[in-house]
Order: sequence, then C-alpha cells, then structure tokens
Amino acid sequence: MDENVASVRRADIVIGIPSYNNARTIGHVVRAANAGLLKYFPQFDGLIINSDGGSTDGTAKAVLEAQVEDSHLLLLETPKKPVNRLSVPYHGIPGKGSAFRNIFEIALRLGAKACAVVDSDLRSITPEWIDLLIRPVLLHGYDLVTPYYHRHKYDGTITNNLVYPLTRALYGKRIRQPIGGDFGLSARLLSIYTTRNDWESDVARYGIDIWLTTLAVVEDFKVCQSVLGAKLHDPKDPGSDLSAMLMQVMGSLFALMEEYEDRWPDVEGSAPVDLFGFRYDVGVEPVAVTTSRMLDQFRHGLDDLTEIYEEALEARTFQQLRELAGDSVFLLPDEVWVRVVYDFACRFHRAPVGRGQLLRSLTPLYMGRVASMVEETRDMGPQDFEERMERACRIFEEMKPYLIQRWNGAAPLEEEPKEVMQEVKP
Amino acid sequence: MIQALQEILTRAGETLWEQIVIFVPALLAALVILGVAWAIAWTVRWASLRLFKVAALDHFLADSGLRSMMGRAGRAPGARLVASGLYVLILLGGILTALNVFNTRLTGQMVDGVVRLFPRLLTAAAILLAGFWVARFLGRETLVWASNEELPHPRRWAAAVRIGVAFVAVVAGAELLDFAPQVFLTAFIIAGGGAALAASLALGLGTRDAVRQALTERQAKAEEEKVLFNHL
Repeated sequence: MDENVASVRRADIVIGIPSYNNARTIGHVVRAANAGLLKYFPQFDGLIINSDGGSTDGTAKAVLEAQVEDSHLLLLETPKKPVNRLSVPYHGIPGKGSAFRNIFEIALRLGAKACAVVDSDLRSITPEWIDLLIRPVLLHGYDLVTPYYHRHKYDGTITNNLVYPLTRALYGKRIRQPIGGDFGLSARLLSIYTTRNDWESDVARYGIDIWLTTLAVVEDFKVCQSVLGAKLHDPKDPGSDLSAMLMQVMGSLFALMEEYEDRWPDVEGSAPVDLFGFRYDVGVEPVAVTTSRMLDQFRHGLDDLTEIYEEALEARTFQQLRELAGDSVFLLPDEVWVRVVYDFACRFHRAPVGRGQLLRSLTPLYMGRVASMVEETRDMGPQDFEERMERACRIFEEMKPYLIQRWNGAAPLEEEPKEVMQEVKP
Repeated sequence: MIQALQEILTRAGETLWEQIVIFVPALLAALVILGVAWAIAWTVRWASLRLFKVAALDHFLADSGLRSMMGRAGRAPGARLVASGLYVLILLGGILTALNVFNTRLTGQMVDGVVRLFPRLLTAAAILLAGFWVARFLGRETLVWASNEELPHPRRWAAAVRIGVAFVAVVAGAELLDFAPQVFLTAFIIAGGGAALAASLALGLGTRDAVRQALTERQAKAEEEKVLFNHL
C-alpha cells in the first residue's frame, strides 16, 4: 500500500470508494468520479482511491482499468493535471468504516483540501455528484456535505424511522440522509476523525455514516446537503443481516448520545440545513413490499423476547405494544414508537452489560414499525409521505423531555396511554 | 447388696456430675458464642441492607443488567440476597467456633472438615455463579438470534443452551468438591453424546427433507429481502 501511495506525491481532491467484491459496478463509479474531477476541477490534483476489503472478483483491476470514454462527448476540458488512481487494501476490522479510515489517512497524508466518499455499488452516480460533494467544501467553507437523494418511500427505512428523526431531535439539525453513505469532507474534519480512538467499534462497520455526521454536528463543523438526484444502487451487502446492520447503526448512535450527553439535552426543536443543488422531481425504482412477514416477526418477537422488553421498555409501552399486536389491522402510533426508541436509548445508557443483545432485540419492533408505516402510507405520493415523515419527526422532538427524564434516571412521565391508542386505531 | 447398688449409683451420679461440670461451662460458652455470632450476623445484615439501600445496589444490579442475568430467581432484591449471604456466613462461623469449644474428637473433625472444605466450597460457589451467569447470557444471545432468524421455538433453543451451560458449571463444581464425580461426569458424557447423536440422526435421516425445505425457504426469504429492501 505504501509503495502505491508513495507514487503519488500530493492531491488536492481525493475521491474515496470503499469496496468489497464490486467488480461489476465499481467501474461506472470510477468513471463518473474521474469525469467529475476532469470536468469540474481540472485545475486541481485529483486522486481516486479504492479502499478494498480483500475482493476476489477483480475489483482492483476494474478500478485501474476503467476509462473515461468519449471525453469530448462529456464536454471535458483537457486536464491541466491528470487524475491519479489507486486501489489499496485496508487492514483491521472488515467493514466500510475501516475502508473510510484508510481513505482519510491517505487523503491527509497527501495534503488534500477536500475529500469525497461514494459507494461502489452506485448506478445513478454522475460526474455532477463529485461537483456537488466537493464544491461546498472547496469553495464555500463547508466541512461536511451530506447527500440529499430522491428515494422511494420504502427505501432507507432505518433512515426514515430511526436515524433521521432521532438525530434531528437530538442535535437539532434537519439532515435528511445522515447515513446516506456519500459525503464530502474538509481536511479539517478529516483530521478530527482520524485522531479519534473509537475506530475499532461499530464505527468500523455500518456505524461509520452516523458517526461521521454526528461528530461534525456536535463539534460545530459547518454542515450542508447537496441534491444528488435519485439513488439507485445494488442491495447493500446482501451477506450482512438486518439485525447486525441495525445493531451497528444504533450502537454507534447511542454511544455518541452517551459521549455527548452534555450537548443534546439543551437542544430544542430543529433547524433546516443549507441545501445546495437544483431540486427536481425524478422517477425512482418502485419497491414492492409485503408486510405479512414483517408483522409475523414483530408478533413472534414480542412474545419470545418478553424478558428483554420488560427490562428495556416502560411497562405501559410494552403493554400497549402487546395490545396493538393483537389488532387485526396493525398500526403502530408515532408516540408509542418514539417511546420505544427512547426507552432503548436509556436502557443502552444504563446497562453496559448485554448491549448487543439489547440492540439486536430491537429488530422485531423495528419490523413492526416498518410494516405499520408501509400500510399507513401505501397510497401516499412522495410529497404526502414526506409530510407524514415530518409529523413523525416533530413527535420525536416534542417527546424529547421524556427522553431526558428517563436518561437521567427519573420516573417516567405520567401520560394517558388510552388517548394515544384511541387516536390511531382504525 | 444395697450398699453395692448405692455405690454404683453414687459413682454414676458423680460421673454424671463431673461430666456436667465439664460440659455445662462449654455449653454455656458455646451458647454465648452463638448468641454473639447471631447478634453480629443480625447487625451486619441490618447494616448492610441499609448500606446497600443508600448505595442503590439494587438499582445498580438492575441497570447494569447483572440482576437480569441471574434469571427469574434474580428478581429477588439483590441487596437482600447479599445481606442474607453475609448473615449466613457469620452465623456459620459462630456455629463452628461454638462447636470447637467442646474440644471433642467429633466436633474437632467437623470443624476441621468444614475449614478444609471452605475454600473449595467458595470456589465451587463462584464457579456455579459464573456458570449460571454465562448460561443466562448465552441463553439470551440464542433467544435473540433465533427470534431474528425466525427459527421455530426460540425459547426452547435458549432454554437448551441455558441448561447445557448450567449443567457444565454443575459438573465442574461437583468435580471440585469431589462430590459424586463419576455420576456427574457420566451423565455429562451421556447427555452430550446423546445430544450430538440425536442431532446427527435428525439432520442426516429423519428431517433431511425438512432441513432442505427450511434452507430453501430461508434462501427465498433472503432473496426476497434482498430485492425488496434497502434499510439504510
């Protein structure tokens, strides 16, 4: 690795692409990144780094051999400086986070002014993505650029039901895709990331995205969003199971809640974050969802994992879940879901033993929430769905005092559970 | 004749009196020791209960997840359990000290036996405690895993793991105490071997089709999820 990196003396802009057996799709991503650098930043030294987790399908070869064809058709200028390309393996815990760490360290070593990371399975990436991720950092003084995609309403369910509303309620910033996976970063922020000592945790895997976003927000770095259009990509690491993914993302999020527990309780409400790029409507791939299996998992989980839920959840919340599970038409009200999430966060905070079990036991409840949202929004268009999401987010914000009270070990607030149930029952 | 009888009775009475004279002070001393030990034990239990209450031991055990690891039995307040343990230990010490006062061969052997056994008893208790804790932890791991993998009867899987690990702890404890080691070891080998054989037969013969079907279904489910969902 060092020999490869040593062959490059410096780079103003680094585009990082983490990969593991993505030979089929990574060529397109590299071509788009290359064209983006040539088209929008021809005056800068550009470098594309593929940080690979030991692919055996020729991913590295695909990276190094990808060519920008028909450059005149892309209206590319003759570059003042060529774009270098590296494919290097990363070491340590296998996962996206470790790949990012490798990219960040190389970018800092080469004196990069801006860095962008993009997924290797993207099918909708265009050269404009590079401009939208890099320009706010390079020319407008932002430290973190998060993506703003058009996604199908049932795409990104962890984002919609957990990460976005919770991050927004905690830290007061409306970052719509906090775990989008494609980011633009400043050198200043990279140096903060690389000096942290929690890389050997969930951050090394799927916990990386929320970690990047949260740290930038709580450490008062300048954050913005860029409209990237539609996000079309291959299924995310089909080998990894949902439960592990959920555990890593939520583990990272809850751990950061603990670390910054002196910051988020004082935040009230939320504010929009600067949004760059041209907003336009775009068709997205339809996602067909059947909820029966998800509901089965929810109901069975509720029965099987009673002993864990009794400890984690407030008695009233657990009782409500049991009652709702028996309904013929299942709908999980926002208020109950928010209490579930907040109770899990507090349990995580109070019980250092068995945190992995706790986080994995969230899966059936999450499935119930997703099934409920799918049923509730089945006939909604994108605009109505966003409004529905906004309503859920506001409830996360309004119920924050409940979280603070529980987090500090006080008895739960007394509310009338019946009201909530009556409000939402069909 | 009457005189001889009188002498025998007098001698018996004297012997009895001598023994009473020897025994009663020891008995009184033993009773006093027992009383003091009980008083100390009671005081320690009372004080420790209050101390634990102030230190919020129950909250700590519950919040740290340690209490839950002890299973349903662990739902008893931890502070009371610890205080009662101290009470029993001090009382046991008092009983042993009281027995030692009599200085007879029998009491000496009893005290010797208990004193010699005590470290091993403590070690065995620690093994059992740790074993049950691990059993509970692994049982829960299995429960959550089986539930998320949508396997049938997750609780039974968890119970099997819990019982298996707890049994290993019991065998280790019994081995340490030299308590019917062959019986436990044999039972362990039979149970382990039986379980392995049953699993092999079930997988190899009886449920071959069922396993194939289950695997196919799982694969289909994975494919379905792969196509339908991108959670991040």
